[in-house]
Amino acid sequence: MAELILPEGAIFPDFMLPDAQGGLVSLNGRLRHGPVVLGFFRGTWCPFCKLMLEALAEAMPRIADMGASLLALTPETGPLPAALQTRHGSRLDVLCDVDFGVGLQAGVVYRIPPLYRAGLIAAGLDMELRHGNAAWCLPVPAIFIITPDGRIARRFVDMDFTKWPEPEAILDALAGLR
Amino acid sequence: MELTQVRYFLALCETLNFSRAAEACNVTQPAFSRAIQKLEEELGGALIFRERTLTRLTALGQEMRPHFETMVEAAQAAQALARAHQNPAPRSLRIGLGPGIPATPITGAVAEILRVLSGTEIHFSEAPCGTLVDAMLADALDCALLPADAPLPERLNRWPVFTDTPRLICPETHPLARKNQCGLEDLAGETLLLSDECGNFGEALARLAEPPLRTQRLRAGLGQMQELVRAGLGVALLSDRAAISPSLAARDFVEPDLTRQILLTAVAGRPLHQAAMGFIRLCRANAFA
Repeated sequence: MAELILPEGAIFPDFMLPDAQGGLVSLNGRLRHGPVVLGFFRGTWCPFCKLMLEALAEAMPRIADMGASLLALTPETGPLPAALQTRHGSRLDVLCDVDFGVGLQAGVVYRIPPLYRAGLIAAGLDMELRHGNAAWCLPVPAIFIITPDGRIARRFVDMDFTKWPEPEAILDALAGLR
Repeated sequence: MELTQVRYFLALCETLNFSRAAEACNVTQPAFSRAIQKLEEELGGALIFRERTLTRLTALGQEMRPHFETMVEAAQAAQALARAHQNPAPRSLRIGLGPGIPATPITGAVAEILRVLSGTEIHFSEAPCGTLVDAMLADALDCALLPADAPLPERLNRWPVFTDTPRLICPETHPLARKNQCGLEDLAGETLLLSDECGNFGEALARLAEPPLRTQRLRAGLGQMQELVRAGLGVALLSDRAAISPSLAARDFVEPDLTRQILLTAVAGRPLHQAAMGFIRLCRANAFA
């Protein structure tokens, strides 16, 4: 599946998505102010996403010092993007990737296998309600570092949803852009 | 999975013919077949029965088709909105509001559309649910806010956006205005004004009330209803999201709980213009706290 994910050197297609505060945010709008760290997160219920977002929120002052902004995309809808935003502070922007549109373009969306799906249902996680669609898909953990011209400078992807890059690696990649 | 693969699969759904679908997608047939095969591998099953004379969707193919259509639509919407933001053009956004559903909760989303897609004309239509549903099906409306208990055809997508709780509206000088909150038992001896155009909170309560409530049926919108309450004709139950005139008292109505769920609805698979796509997405991403 990794071969389908947008590679380093490719242009990340421009998009506009709703954020957790009732606004519409475009990638190119953000790129005008500097590089963008763009991550796909599974949602409020995922403990690994939570840890990664906490680490990123902590690294946020240093990310901002490098002129970069952080967009955290989640397929969750309704009150959930705002819940994620509140939990991780206002310095990163939670965007709602409604119906996986941007995730599909980036190649990071997969269909939840039946066994895992049964486990999620047993845990009381109704993805239909959370996503507002019945596709039962999720994004793989992925972080893209995008330069102001829209190009993907670095890509961190791991099919294993427990594995995220270290914030230091992201900061190093940002430092490498200067 | 990835956009190109999914697009190929949807082209195949249309044509049920590998070579014609490949041609429509501007790729060679071997490349097209490989992409479909990859998608099948990822989904863990065949999407298409490949028989000599007959190509048709498997159960998995049929199941995935509408989901893929939704996802491709979302990808296109995200791109189209970004483009539209840079190219102002005359657009309109036509929103239906079911009986008694105020526009207050969605004004933020409307304002954001106007900011991002300047020049958009906004049309609100207040009408009974059936009229709004027909208007959506006839493409005279882009979307509508309707109560969850309204009968909706299968073809409508629906997303819960907020809940709507009634408040009791009475003149400032009315004895009930002195209470912090009220319930059915406080309405003994009062006249409850009912209007189809103000949501069915009053009707729902009247059905539950024993002994029966004194009611007066009217045809009046939210504004006229407030005038009638001010004139002393009776009290009314109106959405807590409706703007209430400062000369009237609005008290939480807590017993019984008459909260209703409000859905955002739109015709499934209907191509929408950017203002409507953006508006629906903003509403779906919103907490409406």
